[in-house]
Amino acid sequence: MAVQFILCFNKQGVVRLVRWFDVHSSDPQRSQDAIAQIYRLISSRDHKHQSNFVEFSDSTKLIYRRYAGLYFVMGVDLLDDEPIYLCHIHLFVEVLDAFFGNVCELDIVFNFYKVYMIMDEMFIGGEIQEISKDMLLERLSILDRLD
Amino acid sequence: MDRKKTLINSSVSNNNSTIKGLQLFIADLRSAQQAQEQEKRIQSEIVKIKQHFDAAKKKQGNHDRLGGYQRKKYVAKLAYIYITSNTTKLNEILFGLEQTVELLKSSIFSEKFIGYMTLELLYERSEVVAKVNDEVNYQLMKDLSSSDDNFVMLALNFVGVVGELTNRLAYNDDITTGVFKILRSPTSSIYLKKKSALSFLALLKSNHSILTEDLQRKQLWIQRILSLLDDTENYRLTLATIPLIEFIAKYIDPSYCTRLLPQLTEILYNCVVVGTSRSSDNQFPLEYTFANMPNPWLITKVVSLLSILIASPTERDSGSLLQTNNIDNELLNKLRKCVSVAIELGTRQAQDPMERIVQNTVLFSLINFASKLDPSDEAISNSVTALCSLLTSKEINIRYLTLDSLVKLCSSSGKPAIDAVRYKNLDMIFHLLNTERDSSIVRKVVDLLYTFTDVENVKIIVDGLLQYILSPKNLAEPQIKSDIAVKIAILTEKYATDINWFVIISLQLLSLTSNTTINDDEIWQRLCQIVVNNPSLHRITCERLVDYLCKKQASEAIIKAAAFLLGEYSSLITDRISSANLFTLFAEKYFSAPNVAKAMILTTMIKLYKTSPEIGSNVIKFFQLELNSLDIELQTRSFEYLNIIQLAKVNGNTDILQILFEPMPPFNSKSNPLLKRLGSLPASAGSTTLINTPSEASSSTPDLLSKRANSSRSIMVPMPPPSRRNTIDDVNSKISSSEDFSGKDSYYSRQILAPNWREGFTRMISHKQGVLFTSSLMKVFYRITTPDAQQPYVFHISLAFINLTEWEITGLSTQIIPSKTQGNPEYLIMNINTPSTATIGPHKRAEQSYEVSIRKPFDVEDSPILAIHFKCGGSTNTINLKTAIGMTTTLISSDVNPSMHLNLAQFISRWKTLSDALGKEGEYQKSGIKLNKDFRKVETISLEDGLLLLTQTVKRLGFDIVDQTSVRSTLFVSGIIHTKSEGNFGCLMKIQYQVNGTVNVTCKTTTAGPLAKYIVECIKNVLTK
Repeated sequence: MAVQFILCFNKQGVVRLVRWFDVHSSDPQRSQDAIAQIYRLISSRDHKHQSNFVEFSDSTKLIYRRYAGLYFVMGVDLLDDEPIYLCHIHLFVEVLDAFFGNVCELDIVFNFYKVYMIMDEMFIGGEIQEISKDMLLERLSILDRLD
Repeated sequence: MDRKKTLINSSVSNNNSTIKGLQLFIADLRSAQQAQEQEKRIQSEIVKIKQHFDAAKKKQGNHDRLGGYQRKKYVAKLAYIYITSNTTKLNEILFGLEQTVELLKSSIFSEKFIGYMTLELLYERSEVVAKVNDEVNYQLMKDLSSSDDNFVMLALNFVGVVGELTNRLAYNDDITTGVFKILRSPTSSIYLKKKSALSFLALLKSNHSILTEDLQRKQLWIQRILSLLDDTENYRLTLATIPLIEFIAKYIDPSYCTRLLPQLTEILYNCVVVGTSRSSDNQFPLEYTFANMPNPWLITKVVSLLSILIASPTERDSGSLLQTNNIDNELLNKLRKCVSVAIELGTRQAQDPMERIVQNTVLFSLINFASKLDPSDEAISNSVTALCSLLTSKEINIRYLTLDSLVKLCSSSGKPAIDAVRYKNLDMIFHLLNTERDSSIVRKVVDLLYTFTDVENVKIIVDGLLQYILSPKNLAEPQIKSDIAVKIAILTEKYATDINWFVIISLQLLSLTSNTTINDDEIWQRLCQIVVNNPSLHRITCERLVDYLCKKQASEAIIKAAAFLLGEYSSLITDRISSANLFTLFAEKYFSAPNVAKAMILTTMIKLYKTSPEIGSNVIKFFQLELNSLDIELQTRSFEYLNIIQLAKVNGNTDILQILFEPMPPFNSKSNPLLKRLGSLPASAGSTTLINTPSEASSSTPDLLSKRANSSRSIMVPMPPPSRRNTIDDVNSKISSSEDFSGKDSYYSRQILAPNWREGFTRMISHKQGVLFTSSLMKVFYRITTPDAQQPYVFHISLAFINLTEWEITGLSTQIIPSKTQGNPEYLIMNINTPSTATIGPHKRAEQSYEVSIRKPFDVEDSPILAIHFKCGGSTNTINLKTAIGMTTTLISSDVNPSMHLNLAQFISRWKTLSDALGKEGEYQKSGIKLNKDFRKVETISLEDGLLLLTQTVKRLGFDIVDQTSVRSTLFVSGIIHTKSEGNFGCLMKIQYQVNGTVNVTCKTTTAGPLAKYIVECIKNVLTK
């Protein structure tokens, strides 16, 4: 069980975060097409009547959640258990919220490199690495102050 | 965004680290009103950055004309351009790679970070890797060995993120060794250790040979990795280590990992049972709690690993995996307790949506794991009931997850789970199917229905699915309908007990006209295949097809199936419809059919002509008309068929048509090609009630009738689902065969024994108790007892581990490794208890026990291996000892069984009888066995004393010795060897004592084969120690 990729885009489909952990294709065009397809698939779903899990391809299914106009998406293997990945997303967003203080899309846009720092502290090789918010925030505070 | 109250009152983000130029650039892009304007801004920025980078290349001496801060800013801008363009501008920013790599070399953290961050983004593209990987690898090696932990951290992050994107890191031994060194080092911080665990995992996924190529490295490195779990309360390190161990268990070698069962059980129990307890004993650390659940991530990872290590009761050929009958009862009860607590938690009402998700996450994880723990039917039924109660949840996510869990449970737990669902909850499931608006959930419902369909309920299920497809209100999901059609076709074929019903349903599927994507070619082709192979279906199918053709709106699939089958078998239904009328029917359909179907119809027409030459003029006219077809294929076919007809007429030889259009022979394929389209269903789904009976030799084709017979038998004897590992497709991930050429498990053969293991081994053959091993750290005692005198082939082995040092021994765990676990092993290890404590104080002891049951004769050299793992004074140790259990261990002393005693005459008589009956078959002879030092000391005294010592030794083993004085230098020995599966064997031996300090042994047994050799080997071990 591991994450294949993490995506974050807004309602207009503009990517705010992208992280690949697994080579799904060596075709450069395909990863761009995948982003476009994922956006169309998820933005068209009815959030009141449809689940946060959807099959995407022969080898990937998506777990996603929307927070204040941003979609956070994780791609995982077809046979993986989905629910724990909702927790992945929720914890990630909580850490962003605590780090930036009531985080919004602008924080992510203007400080995208800090978001990647947070992502590196939480996920390595598609696996969650640390789940203690206190530990994460303490660590991030130290890193953020380094020259 | 949720405005949650956070533990930190103010923002953690530090404005001092803001890159101002980058901020301005981003603000410019955001203020651009038109995409064109934004593009213009991006291009002008790219031009500017390129100029700066070009200028930087013209360095003067050592002076860097582009400062680190400037480089960082420009590279960050390029990274932002890449992201915000949805990764479409890679080629336009590649010029910056060189400067990005330059950032890696910086000694300033923030610059280094931007460099690594940008490359983490870009390494997904192979052209980037090709350009810079050598330089990056060099810098990685430097950073991995840096004295600054923050630089090591950056390198580990990079390895972890890109390790699977390219294998160039994984095949660099300096990098893999560097990462492992951090993981292994006792001086590494927990922070770096957990990062290195996941980084190492990423490398291992890219290159298995890191652990499979060198056996010694494999053992050493795996033992180091496993020892990280010995501290069961270090949740931070454990969370990162378990995925690595899971990968090793799944793809490298599970044998090494089974010893972790006590640690994993302890972790799971502490999280699920203790951690959720409301008592004051609950001291689970709050920082690892999420939505009021103690560490749900750790729970799911531990359960996932346990699911790999424990074979379910019905899993066959489980090789070196743990079986429930070999798991300590205390551990098994703890695991079962975890499941029952998870069920109680999962059905508890929680207010917070995320809390409900987390509770159900744990519930689903453990419920599916329960099938590994040999649950009772009642326990399974209770699990199903708990899950089905969640199907009424108003939350759509929970309904989805519940269905997913039910599919897995029915797949893995077999009939009890399936019965609980279908007999009590089928109505609810159909209700979901017809009311749910989420295609994901509909898909899960269909998977669940498919999973528990069998011969009893297949008609109900298929009807329900058909109604769903036919319902006009479900028009929005054509792909789902196509998938359902495939499943209906598979179920109908598999469980058809009524051939009429099979035909009816199949044709009904083909007749669907609402959407062409539903009618896959594979379904009608499969129908034709089955009909051809079953003559009893020919007539009824043709009759039905004619009915469908007579309707106005025949689907393309119906036309194709009809064209093929009616062409073959029209002669069977001439009493119902003449060939002329069939021709007219096809002619009518021809002009509205697609070209592929048209081509088939043309072939059908000439076949009709073959059967009924009287329609020749109509056929010829039709073909002549199609000579003008716009489609070259149709034109060619018409031309060819016309010439065939004319050729037959001219020659007056109608045999040519018979030869060219011979009846279709039976199809050979037995497998259903539709099965590959089941998608994400577990491999075992739908197979729990299927018997894969081998076909009779005379049956070379699939036969629907025999399938029916198989289906009816399946009710009596459900087949266990195949091993979960069958779902692993990657060829590289295949675990090498667990048996080598000698017939022993390869894991057993690969163990490297401790230097002086044989001393204790020999003692264990000779004595029922004593010292098994001594080192400077630890002493191991053993005792062998026979719990039941009526079963002398079952032994209880007690072990004691004594700490000989002044320090604590920690992390004590053991493995009892048999020489064979499959292929009819000679002995079984049972009732294994774990060490009584994992920590031994100075000069204190820990105890353990297990049982061995001998089923048939075997060589004492193949005795079980005891692997002892522990830590002491900062060192990690593994001691492998062979615990001798030989054929002589099954002897019962004649003191207990006086009737075994023989006199010399009886001995000679029986010896002769065996010689007459078996000749050399059951005999084994070994000469020149050198006696040990005890005998050499005695040798100088007298022959009598030597014989006395020999007598005592042989008696201690349990043999009986004939009282005689006729032959002074020889012992005449008898005994009975016991086994469980092959019964008892008589044994006679002559042991001849030589004055030169050697012994000759001749042994005869009452059975042919190697038993005599095995007995002599035991004697030899005892005498030569």
